[in-house]
Amino acid sequence: MNIFVNEQALEVAPDCNIEELLEVLDKPLQGTAVAVNQNILSRSLWGDYFLQEGDQISLFQAIAGG
Amino acid sequence: MLTESEMLRYSRHLLLEDVGELGQKDLKNGKVLIIGMGGLGSPAAMYLAGAGVGSLVLCDFDCLEVSNLQRQIGYQTGDIGGDKVELMKHRLEMINPEIRVRSINQEMAEDQLLMELMMVNLVLDCTDNMASRQMINAACVKAKVPLIVGAAIRLEGQLMFFDHRQADSACYHCLFPNSDEQALNCSNSGVLGPVVGTIGTMQALEAIKHLVGLPSGVKNKLKLFDGKTLDWQTFAVKKDSECSVCGKNR
Ligand SMILES: [Zn+2]
Repeated sequence: MNIFVNEQALEVAPDCNIEELLEVLDKPLQGTAVAVNQNILSRSLWGDYFLQEGDQISLFQAIAGG
Repeated sequence: MLTESEMLRYSRHLLLEDVGELGQKDLKNGKVLIIGMGGLGSPAAMYLAGAGVGSLVLCDFDCLEVSNLQRQIGYQTGDIGGDKVELMKHRLEMINPEIRVRSINQEMAEDQLLMELMMVNLVLDCTDNMASRQMINAACVKAKVPLIVGAAIRLEGQLMFFDHRQADSACYHCLFPNSDEQALNCSNSGVLGPVVGTIGTMQALEAIKHLVGLPSGVKNKLKLFDGKTLDWQTFAVKKDSECSVCGKNR
């Protein structure tokens, strides 16, 4: 199954949820925000959302500077 | 009623259909707390002062250092060593003597912040660290005060607006629930002045629009600014019902 992560194409196994995606990508779970098709997915829902073909996933970090 | 000198000073607002005399009175009645007088707070405070926001409260506890001057455009080299809030208060009074500016030259604990929130219509989070951001968000949720959050690092910016008067509003903690991590800040990562200035300027724009009653482009949204491409990305932020700050378990 093909998805996009920060605009880069990526092939993932079917039945992959967001937590598993972050593990595959070796991204920290702490301090990362995730959006699926331009909608932020709450941390509490990462285990419940299973990736769909063509999903646009955006990963980014909180920034604190000012 | 606007005075004659105000009519002159704000003539470019009065020409705007979206502001006009009514909007200018709304600005005059506006009371905004700006927390953090660095790269975000400098342009935000100066634009709001220029625009005639009637009451500005500035909060910071830092002294000006030479390394601040690369981006914190409200200050000058001769100001080094001075208290930022006092320097900025003076600067704002020079820009616009028609407004009232008050300074809080210390780090506020939550109980003091909650007191201050009773006296304002809007808060701008212009701070530089995650602990302050989470504390300000939690206090604004409690006090039901709208909060415009800006942040910037390297060539990246983030902008959000949470209208905590609305029960279904998301909050900063819904978006970034883990507050204990080492979040990126300007002293550990560097930042370009115009990037942080762009975000601070957007906070001022949203504040003016909020005070005059114009719809916001960022309520319950996160905008990411890429200083390399000048692209903005927009993400919808929904209230997390499990959020420990604004959700059902708080
Ligand atoms: Zn929340």
